[in-house]
Order: sequence, then structure tokens, then C-alpha cells
Amino acid sequence: MTSWLEATARERIAGLLDPGSFTEFVPPEARITSPHLAQLNQPAAFDDGVAVGRGTLEGAPMLIAAQEGAFMGGAVGEVHGAKITGLLERALDERAPVLLLLESGGVRLHEANAGLIAVSEIMRAILALRGAGVPVIVLNGGRVGVFGGMGIATCLCDRLIMSEDARLGLSGPEVIETTMGVEEFDAADRALVWRVTGGKNRAIFGEAVLVPDDIAAFRAAIRLDPVPLDVEAEHALLGARLDRFGAAEDALDIWADLGIETPARLPLLDTDDFLSAIEGKLA
Amino acid sequence: MKEWNRLGQNRAARMDRAAGLARGKLVAPGDIGALLTRVIEPGDRVCIEGNNQKQADFLAKALAALDPADVHGLHIVQSVLALPSHLDVFEKGVASKLDFSFSGPQAARLARLLSSGQLKIGAIHTYLELFGRYFTDLTPRVSLVCAAAADRNGNLYTGGNTEDTPVIVEATAFRRGIVIAQVNEIVDAVPRVDIPGDWVDFVVQSPKPHYIEPLFTRDPAQISEIQVLMAMMAIKGIYAEYGVRRLNHGIGFDTAAIELLLPTYAESLGLRGKIATHWALNPHPALIPAIEAGFVESVHSFGSELGMEDYIRARPDVFFTGPDGSMRSNRALSQTAGLYACDMFIGSTLQIDLQGNSSTATLGRIAGFGGAPNMGSDARGRRHGTEPWLRAGREAGQDGFRGRKLVVQMVETFREHMAPAFVDRLDAWELADQAGLDLPPVMIYGDDVTHILTEEGIANLLLCRTPEEREQAIRGVAGYTPVGLARDKRAVENLRDRGVIRRPADIGIDPKLATRDLLAAKSMKDLVRASGGLYDPPAKFRSW
Repeated sequence: MTSWLEATARERIAGLLDPGSFTEFVPPEARITSPHLAQLNQPAAFDDGVAVGRGTLEGAPMLIAAQEGAFMGGAVGEVHGAKITGLLERALDERAPVLLLLESGGVRLHEANAGLIAVSEIMRAILALRGAGVPVIVLNGGRVGVFGGMGIATCLCDRLIMSEDARLGLSGPEVIETTMGVEEFDAADRALVWRVTGGKNRAIFGEAVLVPDDIAAFRAAIRLDPVPLDVEAEHALLGARLDRFGAAEDALDIWADLGIETPARLPLLDTDDFLSAIEGKLA
Repeated sequence: MKEWNRLGQNRAARMDRAAGLARGKLVAPGDIGALLTRVIEPGDRVCIEGNNQKQADFLAKALAALDPADVHGLHIVQSVLALPSHLDVFEKGVASKLDFSFSGPQAARLARLLSSGQLKIGAIHTYLELFGRYFTDLTPRVSLVCAAAADRNGNLYTGGNTEDTPVIVEATAFRRGIVIAQVNEIVDAVPRVDIPGDWVDFVVQSPKPHYIEPLFTRDPAQISEIQVLMAMMAIKGIYAEYGVRRLNHGIGFDTAAIELLLPTYAESLGLRGKIATHWALNPHPALIPAIEAGFVESVHSFGSELGMEDYIRARPDVFFTGPDGSMRSNRALSQTAGLYACDMFIGSTLQIDLQGNSSTATLGRIAGFGGAPNMGSDARGRRHGTEPWLRAGREAGQDGFRGRKLVVQMVETFREHMAPAFVDRLDAWELADQAGLDLPPVMIYGDDVTHILTEEGIANLLLCRTPEEREQAIRGVAGYTPVGLARDKRAVENLRDRGVIRRPADIGIDPKLATRDLLAAKSMKDLVRASGGLYDPPAKFRSW
């Protein structure tokens, strides 16, 4: 068992794809670094925090991107975003499925508008792939989780595979606490943060396939058949969810409402026990 | 005719003034200010129980709220200043002099109050020194202590965090002083009697349970691979080498990494039962995997640790527990064990100079060190021989006449923000000048340090025969810091040939193999799993 959480971006790629099959585009030796960070005297990374390239999974050709959470929390800058967008555009040309190994706090604030534009270009490229029926799969198991613009981008993709340690959200917990107050969301209450944004809650909402923190488990959960995109049905689903659970203060309230027995024990359960505890009780 | 019981008469006068405030020994929380005003006299030595962890926070606040017109000039004798109220008493003019051991969280404010003349410091002690002075020239006249529960006769149950309570109460009560206890609850019968009721004068139920700080919990997720490498070097190059069985660990990630490598790396070297069997240590959660793997025979503790209660209760062969099952700790006794009955102290530091003096003191903060200086010092009065102690003595050239305690300082060559850990002059000297202290606040004296361990290697200072050799041995493990770069390369290679300096390769360690995969637990959840669900980490360490 090899932990996804503990692995670097490149270790995740190496563990996921067929051995030796990965070829990196714009590799670190090309030294395409962020021009903005240099102006701010901030340390740069030779890959700008993301590795992109091609390889095979069980022999099938695949395009793949992996964000490095250890570099600026996987935040998306201009170069970082362009590498992902370029990969997605190539996927449209080649009709090749895409694996996005995301770990990101969202836009890299140092790069301001350039980062914002980069994230919106990623979203547009994902939607183009959805329209063309080319699958885009997100794998989210890193310490940072996936937040901000990359959280939105994740929700645009065909499928999401998550571990319980990973989180998915729009505004990060600290941002919510700062803007809405600690009564709204206590970012220091780690248990609350994980109950709400963690992989288990996302699985209960049917948004993610939950796997243990193991690269092989992520690999085994990958399905490549495209999911048809129906935006109106999606909106109706989200509207219904808000009607039913909008007053809930905590994910625990939602789990109880769904008829899950002793919901407080869910966070402690291993993945298999958790999945049997919520069987037939999805939101 | 000479009067021989003035202390007793003075005590009786104080108790008379307090008459009517208590029903039996019980005082209502609302009357606490009146009680303190009546039993404390200006200029009294007062001890507020400020431990490392459990805090008499309600009584400390009440003391700070007194009117300085009634109560002033107090001399506070207290081991740890952890809470803002511990300094409010000086700012308000209720107290004016301080003798203490450790002030970690309040260190910066303490320095400011000192420079503004609002308090005078007697001395910054080690714990054992301060406790010793409670029984000589710093006996408290009034002590404000803290316990988990009391019965109506004043019998106290301290819970796992007994810490300083026995020492404070003993010194105060048997010199006709006044002991006031805050408790979380009043019960019909306490689970066990930690302090007999006839040593306690007043009991007040605190409106809120006392504050307690989980100081000894380290999240394994934050241990770096350099720390894993250093832990491997410690285990193979020191623990195994000397056969160290009785020891104390400092707090911090460096030693947490060692604890988490016992069931994996040390086990693979066949060291179970041969090293690290008897501990003077707070119940570190990071020790759980080693306990479960059968490494640990006993642990005596200074205090407890939040969340470890059920685990401790379920492992009575390992921990010191009462008939009720809960831990009984005792800071004074565990410090004595650490000083006299342990063969090794190993801990982290922030700065080391060329003589091996080591300090965590930084400018603008007067923090003290608490327990490390006692445990990190050679007990020169020791008489019993053990193999590690005798071997260290032989290495120091003492020819079997006397052994040496192993005192290991463990530090990465650069700390946060690329500040070098090795320096020509400790910040402690400048701090002593600024604050007008008698002595620079050195945590471990260089002549007590036997080994310095960095990611570059282990320097065995016992084998150094001259001050020059010692300096080169220290420079030789100081890496790329300015102190390290200024080493005499030939002298260092010579020391390496003699085994004074040993690089990872010299002890058969491949740094490439130093990965987090060696940690017996990589996350808080792993620690909970290792404990069979018995460990219940505080919320700030949990993501579930």
C-alpha cells in the first residue's frame, strides 16, 4: 500500500500509470518558471508546481496532469494554468482521456488576474472536452485538498475519485470564517472542516467515489466511459439539495436526516466499513 | 521568653479573618475575592499553581482582580507562568517580585514588564531548584492550587495531572501556610486521595473546569524526512551503541520521530528489550506504537496528556496509576528520576555555541527552560553503575572512577527561516545584558553535553581531549552554517578517523532510506488506530 497523501505529484503519476510509460511535456529541465513570482522575489519552481504529460494506463493512452501541493499549495499561476489548459486542448485534438491529479488551494493570488484567467481557461477547456465526450477524471487525495477555482473545475469533470483525507470546496475554511464569522464556520475545528468538505461527505452526496489512501486504490477506481453532461438536471439536483438540507448546521445533521445510524461514528470508519454504513442512504 | 509559634499564630489570625466565608472548607465562587483579601497579607510569598499543563486559572484571575490598596507587594513563587492572569498580578500592582521556572507563552510580555520596572525577578530556576527552595527560603505563605475534584473534607483528587500539587501543598501546609484549592467538582467521595484534606484549608468550585494544555502531542504528519534520518542516527549511533534503557526525551518533532521509529527501524536492528525500556516521560501519544510493540516496560510522568486517559488506564503495567485506574504523575519525583535514574537525556534546541552550550532563549523573551536543565545535566552525586553510564565515563577518560550521563542535543543545522543553529555567541548573552540577569539563560551547559547530533553526523564530545578538539568536533557537524564552513578540514577528518565525528555512512545508514515510510504512525489517526481506539486526541489535532 502506497499512500497517495504522502506522495509527491510525480510519485503519484509514477504509481498510477504503467511503469515507465510517462513522458513529461515542458519538463523541469525546460525551466519555464513564473515571471510574476520572480518580480515579487518569491521562490520559483522549475515546473511551476505542476507536471503534465502522456502515458498509458493498462495499455490505454492517457494524458495526465499532477499538481504539487508542496509548492505554494498547488496554487494556479499563469504558467501552471497554461500547462494544464494546453494538456486539455491537446486531449480534445487527440480524443485522449485526461487524468487530473489535483491538489490546489485555487488561484495563486500573487499572480492576480493572470491566475484568474488561467483557471477560467481550464474550466472552458474541460467543458469543451465534456461536450466532445472525452472523459476528464479528477483524483483528489492530497493534503491541501481542492479549493477555489480548481474546486469549480473539479465539479465540471466527468468523475471525481477522493480519499477521506482529501477535501473539496469552493471557499476554503479560513476564508469562510474570515468573511462570514466563526459562528458560520469554525476553521480551527478540524473535525467540522473534514465532516463538511472531506471525502466522506462528498461520497455521501454522490459527488465522489471514495477510496482508501492508496495509489493502487485510486488506480482501480478509474472509469473512462464519459458521463453525459446535463446542466439543467444538475441545477435541479443542487436546488433540491438546498431545499432539503439548507438549514443544516453541520454535516452530522444531514447524515442523521438521511437515516444513517449513529452518524457521529462515520468519520472514524475505514473506507469499506464506511461504504457499507452509508449503503442506500446517499443524498 | 522566646515565642516559638509565630507562624501558627499568624495563620490563626488569617483563619479568624476568613471566618464566616466558608461552610466547612467550601467557599462560594463569588466569595473568592473576599477570601483572598482576608487571608493574604501584603508582602506575602504566594504560589499560584501554574503547571506545565493544569492551571489554577480561576484563582489566578481572582488574585489579579484584587484591589492593590488591600493586597500588594506579593512575591510570587510559581513554576510556570502560562496564563495572561499570571502577569496581570504584576501589571495591576498586586505583586512585585517573581521567582519562577518557565514562562513559554508569556515570555515576551514578561520581558516587557521587567524592562518597565513593574516586576523584579529573583531567579529563573529549574523545576527541582524551585521546588527545593519551597522547602528552604522560598516557602509559600499562601498557595492557590488546582485539582479535578474535592470532597467536603477537602480531600483532593488531582486526576492524571498531579504535577506540582503535592510539592506546593506539602511546603505550604507544614509551615503553617494557607492552602486554597480550586476544583472542577465537589463530590461525596473522591476516586482517590492525592492530597489529604487536613492539608487543605479552603476549597472553591471553579465556574469552569480548569484550563489544560496538550503540550506533548506532536502530529506525525509534520515529521520531516530529515528528522527521520536524525532519528535513525540516534537509534543506531547512540541508543544501540551504549545500550541506553533508562531515558528521558525532550518534546519536539525530533524526539517524536525517534519514538515512532522504535517499532520499525529499531525493531529491524533487533533492539527490542535492549534499548528504551524505562522512561521518565509525559505520556507522549507518539510513544503508543512503541508501547504496543512491546518496547516499553515503564513510564513515569511529570504530568499527563489530554486524550491519553483511557489508554493509560488500559495499560497499568506501563504507566503509574492509582487503584482507581487513572494516572498519578508527580513533577518533582519524575524530575528526580530524570536527573538521577536515567542514563540519557536527548532533546532539541535552537542554538549551540562553540563550547557546546545550548539554549532556546531568544531576544525579547524571558522564557526559562523548566525541566530540560535538570535532566540535561550530569548528576555528579550519582553512585549506581549501569553500562551506558560507565562507558560514557570511560570515554570521558574517567577510568571507572565515575560514569557520565549521556546528554544529547539534537538539532538540524539550519532552523526556521534559514537561521543557523550553530552560532559563535548565544543570543542568551545579549538577553542577559538586556534583562539584567545574573546569568545568561543557557539551557544545557556545554560541559554537560556529551553528543551533538545533526543531519551531518554525530559529534561525540566525550572523546575530545582539548577545547580545540571540542570546537572542531562541533564545527564538523555544523554543515553549511558559517560556523560549520569555518572548520579546519584536516582536524575534522582526523576527528572522523578517531570516531569522534561519525557521518551517517560511518554508522551504516543510507540517507536515501530515511523516508516517512519508516514512521510507525504517519498521522494522528494512525496513533488512534495503534491505541486500539483508546487514544482520544484533542479537537485541534483531529480531522474527524
